[in-house]
Amino acid sequence: MRHLILGLMLIAAISVTLNSQTPAAKVSPARPSWTPESRTPDGQPDLEGYWSNVSITPMERPRELAAKEFYTDEELAKVEKDAQKPKSVAELGGTIAHYDFVQFGLDSTQAKHALNHRTSLVTDPPDGRIPAMNEEGRTRNAERAAARKRMGPYDGPESRPMSERCIFMTQGPPMLPEAYNANLQIQQGPGYVAILQEEIHDIRIIPLDGRPHIGANIHQYMGDSRGHWEGNTLVVDTTNFNDKTAFRGSSEHLHVIERFTRLDADTIRYQFTVEDPHTWDRPWTAELPITRIDGPLFEFACHEGNYGMANTLKGARAAEKAAEEKQNAK
Amino acid sequence: MRTTSVFRAAVLGMVMAAVPVLAHHSFGAEFDVNKPLKLHGVVTKWELTNPHSWIHMDVKGPDGKVASWMIEGGSPNSLYRLGFNKESLPEGTEIVVEGYQAKDGSTRAVGAKLTFTDGRQLFLGGSAPGANPDTAGESGKK
Repeated sequence: MRHLILGLMLIAAISVTLNSQTPAAKVSPARPSWTPESRTPDGQPDLEGYWSNVSITPMERPRELAAKEFYTDEELAKVEKDAQKPKSVAELGGTIAHYDFVQFGLDSTQAKHALNHRTSLVTDPPDGRIPAMNEEGRTRNAERAAARKRMGPYDGPESRPMSERCIFMTQGPPMLPEAYNANLQIQQGPGYVAILQEEIHDIRIIPLDGRPHIGANIHQYMGDSRGHWEGNTLVVDTTNFNDKTAFRGSSEHLHVIERFTRLDADTIRYQFTVEDPHTWDRPWTAELPITRIDGPLFEFACHEGNYGMANTLKGARAAEKAAEEKQNAK
Repeated sequence: MRTTSVFRAAVLGMVMAAVPVLAHHSFGAEFDVNKPLKLHGVVTKWELTNPHSWIHMDVKGPDGKVASWMIEGGSPNSLYRLGFNKESLPEGTEIVVEGYQAKDGSTRAVGAKLTFTDGRQLFLGGSAPGANPDTAGESGKK
């Protein structure tokens, strides 16, 4: 009960921070600048603040790069320069970018990101690529695809992807950058770390007191996280996933171990290892730098304004009606 | 030669990584690529909602009749970070929207390109109070 109250207090603290800050008041609370010795009032290494996990590094290394793990400074400068070039709709694949994302500030050219010399986020296996799925994983994913096909892609909201339904995007764990608004806030209280992700507005509360995971019969979209400190690294262990988030095709047995290490005032190294013997025969690990940004985060009430869902389903009904009329006219 | 292929692969990788997640939902499911349109009208309301903002506008047809349209655009969070707010697009502003109509044939569309009547882009080039394209570009160059 005490932990629940503490957790609720953390949520309240984050909400207050959100509500009380306007863009005019972007100044962070008075806190001395970060040093490796910086601690929160209860003695935890300090990860607090507003962060962005925007990345231009692909998850998997392009095969052509073979064993090349890092870019040189010179190569990275070119990669960065290319990424900064706003891409035309044509380059991005016709109408996929259906409105001008540069106009709307949604492209990577307008988002701060940390420099990353790595050629892929995946660091292990050494080829920088996610291991091939084992037979059980392949079978399960084929069954999932068949079930989706049986349902009909536009029959109802349930047949639409979870991101369109505003249920779950790429917030994990493991936390991967959203397409836009890839911002997060880390807040620490006695015995807890809380991570708020702007999109789609989830707060993960991570207890640090060594308690066991929730019962094995309970499954959640974001799993169940437990944390502890190893020196200056926050290690977060997450289990109890459901079978719907299916990270890269994973099963509900997914086990994610994340490591947060603050490298300097502006950077956290975020590493994660994914284990799921029901999907891959070996664990795999990835890492990306997270960079400090000016706050605050803004609300992202996705479901309430999601006119797109109704429009999509109406479009499908209109198409069905037109097909029916055409049939009747014959 | 080797360097060239290295970069081509890297750029291709980035483009491929970016494509599937650019929008919150698929364009093709909601809008009809065979119904491109260009609307000239007057803003009546701007809904700053997530995951998409919606501009409401009145558009006078060739017959003189006024129709109300709703135009889908990007997330307000990023616009807010660029300096836009509720006052940036006041009621009565004349705009031109090029986009695609909703598949159900209603007066809804996606705003692929939004401009003022003089051709300035709506959300670029310092067209709104507080918008500063110079610093917006700078933040990505850490």
